[in-house]
Amino acid sequence: MNPIDLRVHQVLDGELARESLPPELRRVVDRLESAAALLAAAVPPQGAGLETRVMAAVRRPAPSGDRVRRLLRWFATPQAVTLRIRPAWSLALAAAIVLLTLVPTDERAPALGEHEGIAQFVGRFPDAHSVHVAGSFNDWRTGTIPLEDRDHDGVWRATVVLPTGAYEYMFVVDGERWVPDHWADRLVEDDFGRENSIVIVRATWR
Amino acid sequence: MALRPGLILVLLASPLAAQSERARLEGRVPAAAIPTVDSLVQVAKREDLPTEPLVQKALEGGAKHQPAGRIAAAAQAMLGQLRDARALLVRAGDAPPATAAEVTTIYAALKRGLPTLVVERIVAALPQEPRGSALHAVADLATHHFEPDSSAALIIDAARQGLRGERLLDVSTAVLHEVQRGHSQAEAMAVVRRELPNVPPPPKPAGASVAGARRPGTTALPSP
Amino acid sequence: MRGDPSDTEVVARVLGGDREAFGLVIRRYETGLLRFATRMLGSRDAAADAVAEGLVRAYRHLASCRDPSRLRTWLFRIVANRCKSYLSRRAVGDVPLEEAPPVADSTDNEASLERAEQLALVAQALARLSPDKREAFVLKHVEGLSYQEMAAVTGERIPTLKMRVHRAREALLQVLEDHA
Repeated sequence: MNPIDLRVHQVLDGELARESLPPELRRVVDRLESAAALLAAAVPPQGAGLETRVMAAVRRPAPSGDRVRRLLRWFATPQAVTLRIRPAWSLALAAAIVLLTLVPTDERAPALGEHEGIAQFVGRFPDAHSVHVAGSFNDWRTGTIPLEDRDHDGVWRATVVLPTGAYEYMFVVDGERWVPDHWADRLVEDDFGRENSIVIVRATWR
Repeated sequence: MALRPGLILVLLASPLAAQSERARLEGRVPAAAIPTVDSLVQVAKREDLPTEPLVQKALEGGAKHQPAGRIAAAAQAMLGQLRDARALLVRAGDAPPATAAEVTTIYAALKRGLPTLVVERIVAALPQEPRGSALHAVADLATHHFEPDSSAALIIDAARQGLRGERLLDVSTAVLHEVQRGHSQAEAMAVVRRELPNVPPPPKPAGASVAGARRPGTTALPSP
Repeated sequence: MRGDPSDTEVVARVLGGDREAFGLVIRRYETGLLRFATRMLGSRDAAADAVAEGLVRAYRHLASCRDPSRLRTWLFRIVANRCKSYLSRRAVGDVPLEEAPPVADSTDNEASLERAEQLALVAQALARLSPDKREAFVLKHVEGLSYQEMAAVTGERIPTLKMRVHRAREALLQVLEDHA
């Protein structure tokens, strides 16, 4: 297979004007374009066959497991992202689906959504004045999720309601010192020379 | 050449969406990094790749006071890794198009250090459902120095025996508990495999701490 | 055509419960999808199967089409994968030749005969390409997708796609010159 002059490729890729080519290369362009034009001739349709066939399948009800699987797939896939605003049509569909789901059975829990769970953050920082957690669940803001050390034993805690999924995070001690969670055993490089911890929030409603 | 006039070439998302990404970066990411990150986000959109991980990485770098160059480099590397993740899904035989969630899930699994072939194997073995939990379950074992291939085999077995989604994480937890009780790795896996699909559920958080749970950014406690 | 609903509107209608509106999607895209699949598989029957399966799959997964304004790319992606599945199931080397394409008009004039022969030649050359190169060439030069759209359809990087298209062109040119 002989290579073609690069300029021919560039013309065919729309990166160079055909006029800038010498005549023999323009002929190569033309040959290839004619070949493509031949292939681009529409294949004669097979009557209304295709549409009829597809619409027959569309009108058939989906297998019952399929719908449930799709719901689960849509909502329960752990994501390393937070929930974002979606275009209106998708939001309406999501609202419709949520209306169809079961309510949580555990009355004592706070009113958790179907696809929310609890994340518990614990760390031992005996000399800290403040401890926060920042991660992909709050756009890495350092001041919005404070931990508390109520009994002043140096162990700081926070319990947070989050959408189910996997998140990266670190503790922020005294507003400036970034520390991974050493009691969590999931660690991942943060691409800035340190390591983030990972928390997986599970649905607690069951 | 059959040029199609009026091709729908989507070079940018709708102006509103593009604005909201830049707006999220402004003030939180060094100004010098924003044009690079924004253009990477646009490239990701054009290629139908998830954009949220890129935005999160930039916000993370800004929060951690990283220099602009480092943030841009991290985002650039991530884009390549997202492409690799999507290519893996295609190779593993997934029916396209891959959703943002699926690509992000694979990206996260590779980031946790799982070998490519192991990830492919799990993707191929679970064609009809979200793979995030299965991948994290295998990664949890690999973190504790279990061999990824046999870990994947156990998790796939568990899935085939009816354990789904988050419950697969309980399989890994059970194996790690057996090791804590003194079993060797091989013994631990054998014990858990014998019990499948019966695997202890995760411990429920204590009622008091659950009642005190807060949503990020809210200061008032929800009514119990 | 002016007045026709946009893809975004049609998708919204289908997801809103108007199943029949999916017929609009079929009519709008079946020609291009059929042509693409025929060039990929070398057989109109196999292509009809691949496109029908692809469209049914598209209907069932329509909610996961994140950007309805890029519906065309999304559909091509699904059908491209159907074609890949079909090709991988078929024995290697067993590429059926296209059924003889119908001559443009009934008068057997030389020009249309020659066109038909040229088409058969080119189609044969296309069938000899590896599926990756064939797909890249057909998407670029028959369906007229940009490299960016091709990346979205195939999941491959643009430099990879360019290389495949370039090599496909070279192979095709070789066949054309050998038979000149």
